[in-house]
Amino acid sequence: MARASHPQAMTPHRPGSTRTAPPQVPDTFWSQPRMRTYLLFDATGIPYMLVGLLVLRVAFALGRGPEAWAALLQEFSHPLYLAFHVLALLSVMFVGVRFFRLFPKAQPAKLGPVKPPPRPVLHAGLYGAWIGVTLALLVVLGGLWP
Amino acid sequence: MRTLLLRLEPGIWLLFGAGILVGTILLPAYLLTVTLGAPLGLLPEGALSYERAYAIASNPIGRVVLLALIALPLWKGAHHVRALLADWLGHGPDPVLGSLLYAVAAAGSLAGIYAVLTL
Repeated sequence: MARASHPQAMTPHRPGSTRTAPPQVPDTFWSQPRMRTYLLFDATGIPYMLVGLLVLRVAFALGRGPEAWAALLQEFSHPLYLAFHVLALLSVMFVGVRFFRLFPKAQPAKLGPVKPPPRPVLHAGLYGAWIGVTLALLVVLGGLWP
Repeated sequence: MRTLLLRLEPGIWLLFGAGILVGTILLPAYLLTVTLGAPLGLLPEGALSYERAYAIASNPIGRVVLLALIALPLWKGAHHVRALLADWLGHGPDPVLGSLLYAVAAAGSLAGIYAVLTL
């Protein structure tokens, strides 16, 4: 059985002379390959939210002192935390690869008098920023500099 | 509630977009070091000792990056989980669920501002 879709979905700007049935979401909407990738992209929101809340704990632990910091790192070495953080890393990689591919396509043709750079340049720029910032942060957080 | 969410939509979209772009750029290094490298003992000795981690997080750039790592993934997550729930549960419960998710993101962001200011 299909269920009702958003009431305004597919509504024409002006009502036509032909009556149409209200839009329906098929029960198997999730089984379409494109829809599955889209739902997976949305589902990365769950690890993102949890990571945000865990970074909040990191900030509070740093504010409380060395014991709280050591206790948090100890907690993070629990297999469940490690597995979650690996999943979070995979989610971030998936979001990056998909979003950076879509971002150039979503740019307006013109922004006032300014034209955005060609799509391949924008795509390469996003990857450059991603890799550059990651390497810079790895150098700092990995203890290599300063 | 639906009208309020529509009115706040531009601001929510800005934070959501920043969450995808900035959050995704910043997160891999954080995840590889603080949550995986340090607990597994893969980092050089003292790389994330309390003194060093505190010095990195408490300088002005460190505070901004730390706040971005807290707030932006929360907004990205809240907006995407809202879309996911709307797909599965329909648009009836969306105003309530959306508001709850954004409330979590807003509360987390405010707590994040407090946390980085009091470091």
